[in-house]
Amino acid sequence: MKLMHTRLPDFYSKAEAAAKKRNPETEFSISGLENVKTAKLASLRVGRVEDEIMDITEDEDVKKVEIVLTPDNPETLYTVVIKGIQEDGTCKKVILENMMLSAPTVETHLFGVKEIIDRRSNMKK
Amino acid sequence: MKLKYRIVPQGAADGIVPLNWVFIEKKDIEAAGLTHLEACFAVGKDLGDDCAAIDIMDMEDAVTVTSDGIVAPGAVIGVASVDHGLINPSYGYLNISPLPYSDKMIEEEPHMRLWLTEPYKGKTLHRGPSKEDRGNRGANNENMTMSGRIANNNCGSEVMNMVEMTEILAPYFGMYQIMNDGEVIIGVAGPEVSVGIGMVVSERHGRIFGGVNLGSYKAGMTAHNSGEFAKTVKSDYPAICAPKPVLAEYTLRALDIDLVPGKDIGCSPAVLALAKAYGKPIALDNIAPRAWVELESVGITREKLEAPAEILSRDEIIAKADEIIPGMPGAKTYKASDICEIRYAEV
Repeated sequence: MKLMHTRLPDFYSKAEAAAKKRNPETEFSISGLENVKTAKLASLRVGRVEDEIMDITEDEDVKKVEIVLTPDNPETLYTVVIKGIQEDGTCKKVILENMMLSAPTVETHLFGVKEIIDRRSNMKK
Repeated sequence: MKLKYRIVPQGAADGIVPLNWVFIEKKDIEAAGLTHLEACFAVGKDLGDDCAAIDIMDMEDAVTVTSDGIVAPGAVIGVASVDHGLINPSYGYLNISPLPYSDKMIEEEPHMRLWLTEPYKGKTLHRGPSKEDRGNRGANNENMTMSGRIANNNCGSEVMNMVEMTEILAPYFGMYQIMNDGEVIIGVAGPEVSVGIGMVVSERHGRIFGGVNLGSYKAGMTAHNSGEFAKTVKSDYPAICAPKPVLAEYTLRALDIDLVPGKDIGCSPAVLALAKAYGKPIALDNIAPRAWVELESVGITREKLEAPAEILSRDEIIAKADEIIPGMPGAKTYKASDICEIRYAEV
């Protein structure tokens, strides 16, 4: 299974390496997962993203690659963990609650962009 | 060809309205020869780099239901969010299909008996989206559209800018007044409206709750279920409402056919106040303890509702509606034409 999913730090380094492969001077940034400290990402998708980063850098006008990861469904469901911590730092009790969060959609990244190449697969069916 | 639409623009009502709210009438979409989605794109194009929540309204052949469970003339039959002319393909548009009549509906949803009376009888019912309308939305998705900065929730009555994090409400009769060039009251929703909008009824395909199955919250319960905090949930957001005599008129119609607050229709502060003034029974024993906590937090107690009081006529209640119905203190009255512009989009 190790080959099937990529470690989050490896994704970051792979994405940056792809951005700088054609030109090491290409600037790079990645955002959207700041709150996720550890995760595994589908390796198939990581490879596709690396390939697409290379595609973007083929354009000589592109001097910087900005990667943003945003939820496909902008109305995400979270579990709220309400912890009661004791004096010694241990957790005595927890109450779990649901929380829906509605966030700006992907369109906020598309305003004024002339060329939008949508390679997303339909994963909702 | 041009498409007529109404817009309550950002900054309207002395700066209270925080974002653009567009209303397009079904008959105007048909006159322009567009689909409802095409009409939303046309408005989005007309707004250029701006954003808006869009409600598509049928004010001629349709009826809907308020969160109090009151059948009302006209309906929101589609909602959208648009930003920079873009509408999110999965979440940006939501059709609200007509719901067919069935004896089972009347049995399970007693508030719908009002639909069987004049002038509502025979009109098409639009309330919440069907399973097909919701498309790929998941169980966690509310009846909401989202595109760019704008969210349009609860089938068009609660709209937000998710970047500026602003919001404004329009309970249905507020929209009704806008569409009919009447008067509206605009102000901070406050504690009574905050509590009241949680006192819903159980429906399949309701505006807010209920899908294939009946919603979990029956008349007499609170969907907020947040104790004394319920009165704060919308307390500092602006709301566009109908003047209280208008709310009274339509609510009294439900009381006139003996729908009982707390059993058949919701137990919001407004409904309870009207039933008390009208001398109509209230299902006090059916109001859930958690709902009582919320009602008591805005000064509505069982003791006060059971206390002897003068019973008023329908005309007297409508004349004194501002005194009888609690909530929206300090709201200002506007003509719809003072807050709402008529515009025409090229199609």
